[in-house]
Amino acid sequence: MTTDTYVAGTGVLYRFDPRAKLLLMVLLCIWFFLPVSLAGAWLVVLGVIAAGVLSVGLRRMFRTFLTILPMLAFMILFIPFNVRSGEPLLVAGPVVLATREGLLQTLRLMSRFVGVTFVCALTIQSTPMGKIMLALRWYGLPYKASLVVSLAFRFIPFIADSFSQIKDSHRLRDPNIDEGKGRKGYRSKLGDMLPTLTSALVVSLRAVPSLAMSLEHRGFGLPGKRTSYHVLETSWRLFTDLFISTMIPVALWFLFAVR
Amino acid sequence: MSQKQGSSNKVALRLALVAILTAVTVVFTMIVRIPTTKGYINLGDVAICFTAFTFGPWSAFIAGGLGTALADLLSGYAQWAPISFIVHGVEALVIALLVRSRAGRDSAEAVVPLWRKILAGIAGMAIVAGGYFVGGGALISGFSVAAVEIPANLAQSGIGVVLGLAVSQAVRRAYPPVRSLSW
Repeated sequence: MTTDTYVAGTGVLYRFDPRAKLLLMVLLCIWFFLPVSLAGAWLVVLGVIAAGVLSVGLRRMFRTFLTILPMLAFMILFIPFNVRSGEPLLVAGPVVLATREGLLQTLRLMSRFVGVTFVCALTIQSTPMGKIMLALRWYGLPYKASLVVSLAFRFIPFIADSFSQIKDSHRLRDPNIDEGKGRKGYRSKLGDMLPTLTSALVVSLRAVPSLAMSLEHRGFGLPGKRTSYHVLETSWRLFTDLFISTMIPVALWFLFAVR
Repeated sequence: MSQKQGSSNKVALRLALVAILTAVTVVFTMIVRIPTTKGYINLGDVAICFTAFTFGPWSAFIAGGLGTALADLLSGYAQWAPISFIVHGVEALVIALLVRSRAGRDSAEAVVPLWRKILAGIAGMAIVAGGYFVGGGALISGFSVAAVEIPANLAQSGIGVVLGLAVSQAVRRAYPPVRSLSW
């Protein structure tokens, strides 16, 4: 199980300050909800996809697209038929199947969904998780909250590994192991999971006291603590990057706003 | 031991507990996945309900919300992370508050009747289904698509409540010190 979504690279996005990148991500997500023209929204989506292909590669972008493909299919199937008013486009006898307004609404929601998805995915894939944490700290995320996230990331592989080992051990105890997986019903499968889940939880919870003790030994909660987070460098480059992050959505707004 | 050191020990224990429960929620959410239109059905609700039934409302709120949001980020469904944080966080908080007995912080020791736990679970299911309908409908996919997801969300959280309840009882029996970790 992987806990790192970062894709190594050297493009423009990678040289952008993580704090500015987070700001740009939030502003672009908000931008997609503003009253902008449909063509403008899709142009921005294409721009984001192009930036993604140049930065993290076509394969990664396609993988992201596959994750949203079922949702897009449902949007095409359901939204047009729910909008009954407007100019009919598709008619079967007396029944209007799709209208121009329905089609436009579908395209609008799809542009928003695809845009937000690729903007978020691109930020996560082009920034190491550690840098995202430091950027969030810069924006004021409390020390304790940062520590919880960092510790959770540290323990995810351990718990995932324990879970897999416990699952395999329990599976070996099944007398009908050679008869194949497909024969059991859902209820039986869920019932079989109970011992695995219980054991995995007990193993995980046993780590709590020792982790708490480690934190105390590091001086957690006391004056003169022995650990602290790195602080991201603040320079003119940060200012420039933050300025660019703010100006991109503003410029796009002036270009594509519906007046 | 000074009073200050004692309180810092308590904070360290709480922080460690929340971190581990967050990691558990991420693992349970990511390890078993059945694809749907919204993303996937998973066992994250089992971890959330287990936390809510076993520990206090705040551990449940943070671990449930943060765990599912982190799982969304790591699985490539980053656009769902804020909605998951709020919906699952509130789900865990409400379940934990409803099962918390009048004894307050001693809830881990008190016997909570089964009907109350079931009622809390049903409230949690309603929050998940309603939360994703409103959040997904308003912010992501439109209400007609979000409505299609309601049965899947109800099924996922329903399985979570049943397994979470069973696992909570089993863990209390298998690892009694868990009772002292509630806050």
